[in-house]
Amino acid sequence: MPLRLKGSAGLSKTVVWATLGALLVFVLLPTFYLISYVFVRWNEVRVEVFENPIIGDENWRQILKVLFFSFRLSLSTVAFDLVFGIPLAYVLARKRFYGKSLLEDVVTLPLVIPTSGFGFATLITWTTVAGLGGALGLNSGLIPLNALIPVVDVTFILFTVHVALTFPYIVRTLETKFQSIDITFETASRTLGASALTTFRNILFPLSLPGVFSASVLAFARSLGETGATLIVSGVSSTASIAIVRWTSEFKLATASFMGSLLVVTAWLIILPVELYAGRRARSFRIPYQLPTSLSNRLIKIERLVSRRLAYLKDILPLIVVMVTVIVPIVVVLNSVILYWSTDPYTGKVQGGVLYQLFGPSNYFSSVVRASSTSIIVALASTYIATCIAIPLAFVIERRWYGDFIRSILKVPLIMPTSSLGLSVLLLWGSSGFNLVSSGIWLITLTHVVFSVPVIVESIIAAYEGSEIQMYEDSARTLGATAYNAIETVSLPLIKSGILTGFILSFTHSLGETGATFIVMGRDITIPALVVNMVEALAIPAALFTSTYLIILSLILLAVIRIITRS
Amino acid sequence: MALIRLVNVTKKFGEITAVDHIDLAVEDGEYLCILGQTGAGKTTLLRTIAGLLKPDEGEIYIEGKLVNGVPPEQRNAVYMFQQFALFPHMNVWQNVSFGPVIKDRSSEEVKEVSSEILEMVRLADRKDAFPHELSGGMQQRVALARGIASGARILLLDEPLGALDARLRVDIRRQLRKLVKDQKLTAIHVTHDQEEALMIADRIAVLRKGTIEQMGEPHEIYSRPRSIFVAGFVGGANFIEGNVVKIDSSSSSIEIRGGYEIRVSDTSKRVGEKVVVAVRPEDISVGLEEVSGSNNFHGKIESATFIGGSIEYKIRLENEETVSSRILLSGNLKTYEATEGIVVSFSPEKCFVFPYPKAGLLQEIEAI
Amino acid sequence: MPEVRLVGVTKRYGKILANDKVDLTIKNGEYVSIIGPSGCGKTTLIKIIAGIIRPDEGEVYIGGRLVNDIPIEERAIGYVFQNIALFPHMTVWNNITYGPGVRGLSPGETRPLALEMLEMIKLSARSDAYPSELSGGTQQKTAVARALISRAELLLLDEPLGALDVKVRAELRHELRRLVKDLKLTALHVTHDQEEAMSISDRVIVMKKGKIVEANTPIELYTRPRNLFTANFVGEANFLRGAVAQVTDNGAVVHIGDDLQVMTNSKDKSLGDRVVIAFRPEFTSIGERETLNRLSGKVVDIIYSGSIGRIRVELANGDEVFVKKGLSFQRPMLGVGDNVMVSITPENIVVYPYPEGGLDRELALE
Repeated sequence: MPLRLKGSAGLSKTVVWATLGALLVFVLLPTFYLISYVFVRWNEVRVEVFENPIIGDENWRQILKVLFFSFRLSLSTVAFDLVFGIPLAYVLARKRFYGKSLLEDVVTLPLVIPTSGFGFATLITWTTVAGLGGALGLNSGLIPLNALIPVVDVTFILFTVHVALTFPYIVRTLETKFQSIDITFETASRTLGASALTTFRNILFPLSLPGVFSASVLAFARSLGETGATLIVSGVSSTASIAIVRWTSEFKLATASFMGSLLVVTAWLIILPVELYAGRRARSFRIPYQLPTSLSNRLIKIERLVSRRLAYLKDILPLIVVMVTVIVPIVVVLNSVILYWSTDPYTGKVQGGVLYQLFGPSNYFSSVVRASSTSIIVALASTYIATCIAIPLAFVIERRWYGDFIRSILKVPLIMPTSSLGLSVLLLWGSSGFNLVSSGIWLITLTHVVFSVPVIVESIIAAYEGSEIQMYEDSARTLGATAYNAIETVSLPLIKSGILTGFILSFTHSLGETGATFIVMGRDITIPALVVNMVEALAIPAALFTSTYLIILSLILLAVIRIITRS
Repeated sequence: MALIRLVNVTKKFGEITAVDHIDLAVEDGEYLCILGQTGAGKTTLLRTIAGLLKPDEGEIYIEGKLVNGVPPEQRNAVYMFQQFALFPHMNVWQNVSFGPVIKDRSSEEVKEVSSEILEMVRLADRKDAFPHELSGGMQQRVALARGIASGARILLLDEPLGALDARLRVDIRRQLRKLVKDQKLTAIHVTHDQEEALMIADRIAVLRKGTIEQMGEPHEIYSRPRSIFVAGFVGGANFIEGNVVKIDSSSSSIEIRGGYEIRVSDTSKRVGEKVVVAVRPEDISVGLEEVSGSNNFHGKIESATFIGGSIEYKIRLENEETVSSRILLSGNLKTYEATEGIVVSFSPEKCFVFPYPKAGLLQEIEAI
Repeated sequence: MPEVRLVGVTKRYGKILANDKVDLTIKNGEYVSIIGPSGCGKTTLIKIIAGIIRPDEGEVYIGGRLVNDIPIEERAIGYVFQNIALFPHMTVWNNITYGPGVRGLSPGETRPLALEMLEMIKLSARSDAYPSELSGGTQQKTAVARALISRAELLLLDEPLGALDVKVRAELRHELRRLVKDLKLTALHVTHDQEEAMSISDRVIVMKKGKIVEANTPIELYTRPRNLFTANFVGEANFLRGAVAQVTDNGAVVHIGDDLQVMTNSKDKSLGDRVVIAFRPEFTSIGERETLNRLSGKVVDIIYSGSIGRIRVELANGDEVFVKKGLSFQRPMLGVGDNVMVSITPENIVVYPYPEGGLDRELALE
């Protein structure tokens, strides 16, 4: 019976306490402050939301309407993701082929691409003549902005954006889960006479069920919290996250924080049981059901046929989804920048060209430069602080008995709606709360730390669990190294790639973050927020340029990660 | 004064007691093997001595000092893993010199010690290679070199040969012991391979369910096992149930199934007591005629298996019991053509007699 | 009709030739083992036969049928894995009945087969247990039952006992042979443990660096190995370097240094050939009466292991030989430093040409 032995010695108490303290102050407090705010100011909230002297409980109705819309959107997104994501994850996990790492990068793109830029790209792809509409010879966009998908009643554009942004969560999580399951089980099933598809149904899928649940939860929550791109493509509909932004700007803080708390509580109520299920279940999988024989036999025959003849379908369909939702918009944006470079190609007016908007009277170029420096300072500072907290935190999680608990709490900032996060930080550190930091570059930095820490921690943990660090450290200890020496000379080098990957992922994410930043930025504008402003000011070519600029920056950084992890 | 002393050491994991109140003393320069099956508690015991685990009860003394709260790096005992645990991001030289470097020795001293030891394990020409470029046997030598170079007096070896091919183990066993003895180190070597333990150890501690069932020199464990488990686990045995029917000054008679009798030289049991007689396959000879002075039984050969340098016979005796005999080949490969009319003989001095176990014989044997 | 036939099977991984034009024939009903050091290509070979890996070149025939393009699930084989691979989310019963289930048999048809299998491996009482509740040996027995229930005629075993304790291995290997022979199957068993292979196989195949080096019955392989590597890999041996000093009617006489000469039965050597002579330590005697080939020497080391004594003797010419003696029935009165006579009969000596790459290289086990 293998017993899981956690190293006992190895971390000085001061370091542990300091790390947990930093976690509390910089990450957890801001995350959960929003809820406590609602409780503390309950009377205020109650009046504004339910018993408003002017509009009665109209705010509450709004909240409900918006909430239901968000749920419809997110649930349908996840369903779609699963149908196409599971086959793609399987292919990535089990097959080796030329161009595989390129495919993995393409799938990861939406994770690092700035959401507002991406939202904008999707917008022009589908709804304007500069996109698919024009390419197919039409005079206008392919699909109107507010076209609804039947049954679920969500707009097509919004749906596409959400699918694109959540697809990577499903695919990468499941890919990792599938890979973690010893392929020998599937091989055994094949030698016993089962086709590949039957093997998937009977063996790989049941064994990965916890992963399917946690991937779905992650994607669902990400969609619930998605703000940046949604701000741009929502048209007349409103998700919960956008509502928060709008209400905050209207100073309906009570309503906004109530909505935000509702979202946080919902997100948490979903993760917690799933984490518990996935955690415990991971140790004792059991199949409680058995299909009736006739059904089972028919399924087996179909699966045999599909495995032999239709195998290519599972390769192609997901690729089409990725192409349409991710690649095409990016290509369209890049293409448009070129098209619109000096003049508007349709009117011939110079005022409609990129150059004019950047260097002409509106002088967007200087805004871009200023926003760039703001973005980079914020990204560097927040990522650095987050890394300093994340490295010891990862060790604490791996080595203490309460590690699993901390790890599940860390998921909350990751999936919390970014606008809620922004509101929470604003309320905590800003003028309504401790009044330590005013809106601006430092508040943005503090906000970014909150969601950077979980990203870096997860990245380090992945590298940690992929290597037998405890064994090497134990070796080093008995060879004469103190705990600190062992970590410095042996453990850290071994997880170096994890730290670096986490750093770059965080940095890129911070560069492109829109939702939370929008709420706390005050006068210091970051690049993605600038895009939103440009779109609202109808300075389309400028928005085009800025989005492209941001997207290219992210692509370069992604390539850098790839090179580092390859070496 | 023993170099390592364990007093009443206990370690639990939840409900399971992995190490159960163990007392142990290891002398300076001794090569001790801890022998037991998977799950017996051997690795837990070793890790506790190393300081990688804290015991729940009991004290551990190394070089006369109580080391219970002392961290691993100060215990002068290096732990070696089955998978060698060579640092993958360092080459052979960096691995081997890790110990002296981390202990802040001067660079001349580091160089001297590391070169000398690499010479000793005959790997000086591979000092720039990385672990993944080396074969299993070479990796093991580097791991040993690294342990010795650290200056530790005690080597704690956790199934050190387990990751190597079976045939390779036989050769490396000898080299391992020689290296330890030449360097005048003390070794505690954990294994589930009793043949390995018998060949390599000065003393063996047989571990079962967290306690030491028997401890002594290999020769003693082999020829004077104190329990059915030890008799079966170390060296293997045939087990025959019976009842004591007669005792005289120099021998006892045990009645077994079918009314047959075995004469044994053990006179410590009482008449009427239910017992189990154990005879090793190596002590059973197979022939066509009775051997005077021995117990003789007629029987049929059920199978003859050639195992490397020995032949193992399974013989069904007249009373329907089956015994196995294992004879080392010695010059000619004589296998018996006829399978009937075989005589199986074993001497009374080679029989071990144990009281019949309360839980039943099958349970005890299955535990082996 | 031979059950398995491989013709020119080759498999490359980058620059490494895992299987190098391997030809192999296994007859119906044979229990064959493939042994060799890690990396010799034995696992690759068995996976190619199963269809888990595709060969780069060559053909694989099972039961006379070319199976190169036939997927795993249609090759009608049973496969036992080193890491056991029982489905952790299914009970013993569901594991065993999995094969028939995915082949379309109804529970009614499967039930008697499963019960029979459980009887054979003596696990009828534990059919509701999950794999994690069983010991290693029991798990592997269940995996074997799972592989055999579909009555596939070919059983492939890939280091089936590698994950188990030494004692469990010794018992289980006999069970394996018994099951295979009782069910009249053909078995191909890959292992790095030559003792395991020798004790249960009809034939043993030795592989090294992607090629088959030798194949024979265990006894022949042990007593008359046809090359040096096999002689060293299949059990321990003494190797002495020398040159043919004389060729007689009975065989070559080899001079090994100093005044020492050894008479052999080898008839195909010429005067002056550089050779290596090999003989097993069990067939070497110490201090016995008049025999041919008495070599004088001094005892340098004695190790007792159980009832076997390993006596190391340094000969007059500096070479070392070791002798293995079973000590149950007599204990030679020997001590370190004693002068002794070591003797080997000519028929127990095998003579090999001196290898080009040097003796140590040829004998290397990894």
